[in-house]
Amino acid sequence: MKKSLTALAAAICLLFAAGCHEIEEYPNTYMGNFDQLWQLFDEHYCFFEEKGVDWDSIYAQYRPRALNCRSTQELFGVCSDMLSELRDGHVNLSSWFNTFYYRAWWSDYPQNFNERVLQENYLYFNYDQLGPITFAILPSNIGYIRISSFDSGIGEGNMNAILAKLIRTRGLIIDIRDNGGGSMTNIETIARRFMHGRTLAYSIRHKDGKGHNDFSEPYDVYFEPQADFLLWLNKPVALLTNRSTFSAANVFAAVLKECPQVTVIGARTGGGGGMPLSYELPFGWGVRMSAAPIHDARGNCIENGVDPTPGYEVNFTDEDSAAGRDPILDTAVNFIETNGF
Amino acid sequence: MHIIRKIIAAFCLSAFVVSAPAQNADSAAVETVRPVLSAYGVEAGSAHLADTYLTPLHYNGWHTALTYERMQAMGFAPENWVMQLSARISFDGTQNRARNADMYNLEAEGAWTMMRRWRNPWNLSSLTLAVGPGTSLRGGCLYLSRNGNNPASAKGAWTVNAHAMAAYNLRLGRLPVTLRYEAMLPVTGAFFAPEYGQLYYEIWLGERKGLCQAAWFGNYFRLVNHVTADLRLGSTTLRLGYHNDIISTKVHDIVSRRTTHAFSLAIVTEWISLDRGRRAAADARFISALY
Repeated sequence: MKKSLTALAAAICLLFAAGCHEIEEYPNTYMGNFDQLWQLFDEHYCFFEEKGVDWDSIYAQYRPRALNCRSTQELFGVCSDMLSELRDGHVNLSSWFNTFYYRAWWSDYPQNFNERVLQENYLYFNYDQLGPITFAILPSNIGYIRISSFDSGIGEGNMNAILAKLIRTRGLIIDIRDNGGGSMTNIETIARRFMHGRTLAYSIRHKDGKGHNDFSEPYDVYFEPQADFLLWLNKPVALLTNRSTFSAANVFAAVLKECPQVTVIGARTGGGGGMPLSYELPFGWGVRMSAAPIHDARGNCIENGVDPTPGYEVNFTDEDSAAGRDPILDTAVNFIETNGF
Repeated sequence: MHIIRKIIAAFCLSAFVVSAPAQNADSAAVETVRPVLSAYGVEAGSAHLADTYLTPLHYNGWHTALTYERMQAMGFAPENWVMQLSARISFDGTQNRARNADMYNLEAEGAWTMMRRWRNPWNLSSLTLAVGPGTSLRGGCLYLSRNGNNPASAKGAWTVNAHAMAAYNLRLGRLPVTLRYEAMLPVTGAFFAPEYGQLYYEIWLGERKGLCQAAWFGNYFRLVNHVTADLRLGSTTLRLGYHNDIISTKVHDIVSRRTTHAFSLAIVTEWISLDRGRRAAADARFISALY
């Protein structure tokens, strides 16, 4: 009887031991928050290799600075400096007094876009608007669509209405300069209008373990055009990009660039080729980082941006802006006039 | 010791038993009536949530639930076997330690159990022991409002459970009271588990490989404890209780935990189902599932 009860007690203890799954907890101290931040990136961030960042040496470099912090503001500064080393626009640290995000991905480059110049000298403040999409017919009978953001939903009905208005033009300009991204589902809604058939759009991977190189196999994402939609297959398309074309807009550029009728004109996009995930620190600070890398149809990582079509890299100077010119849009108009119907 | 051996043997066998003939020699002569015990209840208490897919932090807050339980002696051997059908909808609201983010949990569960019972073991006339297998289906979702692309962690599981119950009848003055302890422990099954950093967007796109995992103690541990006191106030019974649910899963390096402690309150009724215009025979044997 005694032996049986001991065995029963041992079995229960074993059961609880097997079922007790540890979650590593960091103390709510300056160093606890610093260590947790470093650990989260160590386990979840997906672009160490692409960025050429040795995360262990970053820890060795910044931990002594964190040890000397005397205020949360000071610690926030050290953490922000550490995260700047990743050079990633999808990396954020949010506290109750400040939000860090890396700006140099666009601030170190020419803007190549002036909204006022566009509206005043090219659209003449005369255009149609559907949510984040502005569309008009330019004077030389060229269709123009500006997508300023992918944040709000764009429906098939919206796209039918836009293309119906522009269908008789010689060619189409799609302007995604200064588009900082948004919902990935909008990409398919628009891009499928330019595809001849089932097309490999991009592939996506995710971390499948804590190691820096623990990734799943790429999952290929195909877009399919539908017969009852208005399609734009034969007339030329100029896609305008700048450095502030980021995240979902960056993916959109990568997808559309593979369509034979599309030419990308402007500057390399800003990147943001990793779907971000969010976490938090004991202080309650929010953390966001790239976690699931996206590759274009050719298998290239697009974290560092999408280049214009060779021969179509165009920059926009301060003089152009002062003179009311948009050289990128001018190049696109010339391209359509030369190649359009 | 003999009774423990019997209990273990019965549990092992009961998983495979489909039916068994009634052994009661009187059953042919005397009508047997099996009342249904229905309990409609609410729960309120505390919740602890943690899910490393969403956050490395632990969240604490309140728990509430609506519950339903139905027990009945089984037709093929009403003295020895009882079935229990239970359902619950739970809602938890929690906050992180900094109190600047909220995590909610909504889940629903249905379970069916059959138990072999022994009345008056060890010649203890007021005691009932029961053990048996059961199965349950559980689904729900954790939602962390501050997250962008990973705001939710879906939960889904089908499990085969071991179930044990002990009930003891006593009187507080003239009031009949039934004390009951129940424990439920999933033994195996299958549950939903995305990969370590897998986005639900990827699942939506169609990447569904490896989402269903086989459950065992090492990756899916759950223990439910339920202590109740049924105060039998005539035709209606008031059930007061304590409910404790511990669940901890670990798969693909994602750890998810939920612990609730709750005070439960239920109204219990015992009723019988008869054909229209028919009454139970005067000498019918009423075999209660619990009392």
